[in-house]
Amino acid sequence: MTVRPKPIAPPRSRWLGRSFWMLVLDILAIATWGVLLLKYWLTGKINVLLHPDYMWLANVAGFVLLALSLLKAVQLLQIVTRRSARTYVRSLPTMQHFSLFPPGWSSALLLAVAVFGLQFTPQPFASEVALNRGVTDTLAMTRSQPQSFRSTTSPEERSLIDWIRTVDVYPEPDVYTGQQANVEGFVIHPPELPDNYLVISRFVITCCAADTYPVGLPVKLEGSRSTYPPDTWLRVKGSMITETLDGQRQLTIQASQLEEIEEPENPYEY
Amino acid sequence: MTQLNNALTLFFSLLVEAIPFLLIGVVFSSALLLFVDERKLVAVMPKNPLLGALAGSLVGFLFPVCECGNVPVARRLIVQGAPASVAIGFLLAAPTVNPIVFWATWTAFRDQPEIVFLRIGFSLLIATIVGWVFSAQADLRPLLQPTVAQSMSAPQGSPGRRSRRKPVQSTEPASELLQSGTFLLNSSGQPMRMEAVGAQAAFAASSITTKPLGDRLQMMLDNIVQELRELGGVLILGSAIAATVQVAIPREVILSLGQGPITSILAMMLLAWIVSICSTVDSFFALSFASTFTSGSLLAFLVFGPMVDVKNIGLLLSVFRTRAIVYLFALAAQLTFLLTLIVNLYVS
Repeated sequence: MTVRPKPIAPPRSRWLGRSFWMLVLDILAIATWGVLLLKYWLTGKINVLLHPDYMWLANVAGFVLLALSLLKAVQLLQIVTRRSARTYVRSLPTMQHFSLFPPGWSSALLLAVAVFGLQFTPQPFASEVALNRGVTDTLAMTRSQPQSFRSTTSPEERSLIDWIRTVDVYPEPDVYTGQQANVEGFVIHPPELPDNYLVISRFVITCCAADTYPVGLPVKLEGSRSTYPPDTWLRVKGSMITETLDGQRQLTIQASQLEEIEEPENPYEY
Repeated sequence: MTQLNNALTLFFSLLVEAIPFLLIGVVFSSALLLFVDERKLVAVMPKNPLLGALAGSLVGFLFPVCECGNVPVARRLIVQGAPASVAIGFLLAAPTVNPIVFWATWTAFRDQPEIVFLRIGFSLLIATIVGWVFSAQADLRPLLQPTVAQSMSAPQGSPGRRSRRKPVQSTEPASELLQSGTFLLNSSGQPMRMEAVGAQAAFAASSITTKPLGDRLQMMLDNIVQELRELGGVLILGSAIAATVQVAIPREVILSLGQGPITSILAMMLLAWIVSICSTVDSFFALSFASTFTSGSLLAFLVFGPMVDVKNIGLLLSVFRTRAIVYLFALAAQLTFLLTLIVNLYVS
């Protein structure tokens, strides 16, 4: 690591050189991040990335970043066009400071990632991730606790996550026998379940995609589960039964009607 | 292919969630750099070592800087005559015990509020204890880098002499280290300015608060862009590591490591040391391990990470001698380990 001595009163051609392009790189990097954040908002892809409570933060940050880059650009323009600004420019060798990265790398990295982000479409997680992360029918262990328990909800109005929360509070499966179920989710084929069972599952998000975790309930079918390949979105209607699966007594939906549905705009539940 | 897609989605999700908080942190620390005079702050600090350590730890609520900004502030506090307990307490606690980090941690762990409160509580406790221990060293100078020590004219903690001591101004251009800013040591052991941002350089040259408002705002803008660039780069590397670990390392390996009450804490403390992620956004990093690691180990990451990381060692070496840094980290590490182990064994 070396540091260059400050050029004293650099001629116009020199200060328009390296420092100038570094500044341009900064401005571009910050502006592109602003554009990227706003693009996620406008295309609705922010749904895949964040919990709705925090989307406004990202949106505001997008505007602030754009404003910052604009201010910085105006500043740069003044430097380039106004001779009187030269005195300020002399205090500009801010590029010759020390950091973990060589000069310019950090901005280049930020810019490169933002440009790539503009090309890349985030995909909601699917059954593969769910199997890898381990589907649970409980929210216990290191996971979040139920935030609300609405006992007034009638069984057929419960969403998948409502069911999981209910079971979490009162885990005995026999209590729910015969109750009507009407839930939506995507299909997982856990290898440990027999061929006439699938798991209907949703991802739950509390903050961002990093903490999504799958929850699900087994569904007992009439025939083979191969009719409903993994990642198909289904609405499952049926009634609750208790089955012993993989050595555990388990609340299960005895399916009476399965209907394929469109993947929802917002793939997570809250 | 799906793996790659998942890793990238995770990566961008972490960035999109963290960037707003990074922005808030950077704007705050830039504003405070320009509008708060820490000399006045030092004057009102309590002289009692224990109270001083506690007060120093709580100063973070006035200076919401992350660990990237607290070493320069701590150095300015020492040079301006703050007792050791205050400076050390500030150094260890300020990155965690401040409103922005509290909000970010709450955002990430609002379903497990105990993590948020224990994070703040443990950080305060550890910082106060370490600051108190260091206050037993009445004269800080043997622990400081010679250039910093020279700038202090009297031993710390001797009130009789303190009153007669000529106040040391950070405006004297005697040593490069007397200027504010962030320093690294070069190969010959000389300190070098790391972030001679327009604002910080000007802060050292003359009291910033006497400059016209327009200039100050100009400098604030420069400082914001500067810090955003540096910390943004670190954030990208940190998010890339978090996303890769989640997707690439088999779940069984992570689970076997993450479920042990002791191994999980050690693993997360090591990770905290390696991943120099800013404290305003590290809770999102930790969140990606929330389903596989014990609560105690997440706490260890959140408490220990802001106190020490690879990047900070370079900064700390600009203030303290190696011996002092070893003491500081060993104490902080042991306390973190002990407290989070108690959480793992008795609380969760």
